[in-house]
Amino acid sequence: MILFTLILLPFSYLMLGLLLKRPKIKRQLALVFASANLVWTLVVLKSVNLQDIIVVNMGSWPAPYGISLVADRFSAFMLLLAAFVFLLVTVYSTQSLDKERRKNGYFFYSFGILLGVNGSFIAGDIFNLYVWFEVMLISSFILMGLGGERKQLEGSIKYLILNLIGSMFFVAGIGLLYGKIGSLNMADISYKMSLAKENLAALNPALILIFVGFAIKGALFPFFFWLPASYHTPPPAITALFAGLLTKVGIYSMIRIFTLFLYHDFEFWSRLVLWMGALSMVVGVIAASSQSDFRKILSFHIISQAGYMLIALGFFTEAGIAAAIFFIAHNMLSKTNAFLVAGWVHREKRSLNLKILGNMFQKSPVWGVVFFISAFSLAGLPPLSGFFGKYMVLKAGIEANQIFISMIALFVGLITLFSMVKIWLEVFWKLPPSDKRLPKDTEAKPANRMLAASLFMAAAIIGMGLFAEPIGEYCSLAARDLLNPSKYINYVLAIN
Amino acid sequence: MEHLIAIFIGLLYACGVYLVLRRSIVKVILGIFLLSNATNLIIFMAGGIKRGGVAIIEEGAEVADPSLISDPLPQALILTAIVISLGMSAYILALKYRYFDVTGTHDLDQLKNTDQR
Repeated sequence: MILFTLILLPFSYLMLGLLLKRPKIKRQLALVFASANLVWTLVVLKSVNLQDIIVVNMGSWPAPYGISLVADRFSAFMLLLAAFVFLLVTVYSTQSLDKERRKNGYFFYSFGILLGVNGSFIAGDIFNLYVWFEVMLISSFILMGLGGERKQLEGSIKYLILNLIGSMFFVAGIGLLYGKIGSLNMADISYKMSLAKENLAALNPALILIFVGFAIKGALFPFFFWLPASYHTPPPAITALFAGLLTKVGIYSMIRIFTLFLYHDFEFWSRLVLWMGALSMVVGVIAASSQSDFRKILSFHIISQAGYMLIALGFFTEAGIAAAIFFIAHNMLSKTNAFLVAGWVHREKRSLNLKILGNMFQKSPVWGVVFFISAFSLAGLPPLSGFFGKYMVLKAGIEANQIFISMIALFVGLITLFSMVKIWLEVFWKLPPSDKRLPKDTEAKPANRMLAASLFMAAAIIGMGLFAEPIGEYCSLAARDLLNPSKYINYVLAIN
Repeated sequence: MEHLIAIFIGLLYACGVYLVLRRSIVKVILGIFLLSNATNLIIFMAGGIKRGGVAIIEEGAEVADPSLISDPLPQALILTAIVISLGMSAYILALKYRYFDVTGTHDLDQLKNTDQR
């Protein structure tokens, strides 16, 4: 029941949203349900801390036959962050989004995304994971096109086609894997793989397909092209929601299958993961530095930062996986907040082109400081969360004797700083060019709820930096569970 | 029979990939349909094919003889996958319609207005 509520909460909002007509009630209910979801993830986190791993078998069918929902420390932490980000983006969007989109079901579909994200984090069955992915994807397709502006439709078509192909890779991989192993329960597959030590090469085609599917969702190096082509087209609040939640689910699934399936053939997969991560970091950050649109720079940085999570996973030590978890958490907060600031700039100036913006700091120092905190957390300045994330990744890399990859990460951090300073200077600091036709200031609209959401997020970023010690401790515990898959298997299959 | 279907799946994939690489959006969408159907067939094949293997346990017997029945799970999976791809197809067609309404084109090369020049 404790895990089922995570699905029930967003689902009941979807049902109520179909029945209710008045936009104001829908909006308030959305806030109530998003807060309830946050509270419930805290409950889950607390009981996971007591019981290590919670397993719920749907319909009481025993584990390898029925569908299991599983929450360990890693998923509980991800659930908490997703709920936090979701609540703040919902508060933000009540003011930032136009009335038309709010009336046409923004909250409805954003709860569809929450449903998919929550489900993916607690799925213990790989086909179930695919279904949650689709729930999340179809909602995100609709949000991407909601409003039907020309550029949105263009972005949607690219996003939709590439993501559908990604889903096909994933589901074809599941089919082949089922044909070989005869099970869909992730714990059971892992157990059967550990029994079939010498015949594992036969599984590699299926696993490669699944891996590519996740790499497309997580926007990793050769598969990232949908992300920068589409993330700058919808309204900023929607981009912020996507940036905070969607790619992170891909990375989460990657970590999950790596620690359950792929580690059996460690030599092959760890090298692949390390180099994919390193190339994502480098390509993402270099592509970002050539852009001159606020949101496009941030979109390319999503790719580069997914690379950090992947290399930390590729080190495959306790410190490495703890670093990956910490880095995902930090990135969810900082990246979303940077997009929230972009939303405010867009609201004030109707443009996000760096060339024609300027002097926003004078307009509102508070927003400037909020951007400063999140951008320089992304770049990795102490005492913000990004510093500790990068520090943990680098430390794990050096301890795992991957000096070259760690040096790449260090170098990429430098270029990240360059991009962030570029946005800071161009948008907040310089005087706007006087000769070009400037976008007129829109009439002053209140932005108090937007600011409140953004301030909370900034406070969380600072808090994560200040409390890096206990949070890192928790991440190490989660990593220890992940590195010991027999524990997961024992809990899910109820072997004692 | 398995070999025949495997070749057929390969053909579907080949046609799908060819169509996805075309310039017209309609053809790309048709390619997506073919790819998703090929994928559904892969899941179907995962359980193997048996003549007349109904997955019902005989009366009085405790367990079914696995050599007589075909695995029912892939059929359940393919059902889910078909429903999902049906929904996706409906959405992608609606999106295409709207895009054509707004821009009056189905040339993929016209899709670069939001890219940086």
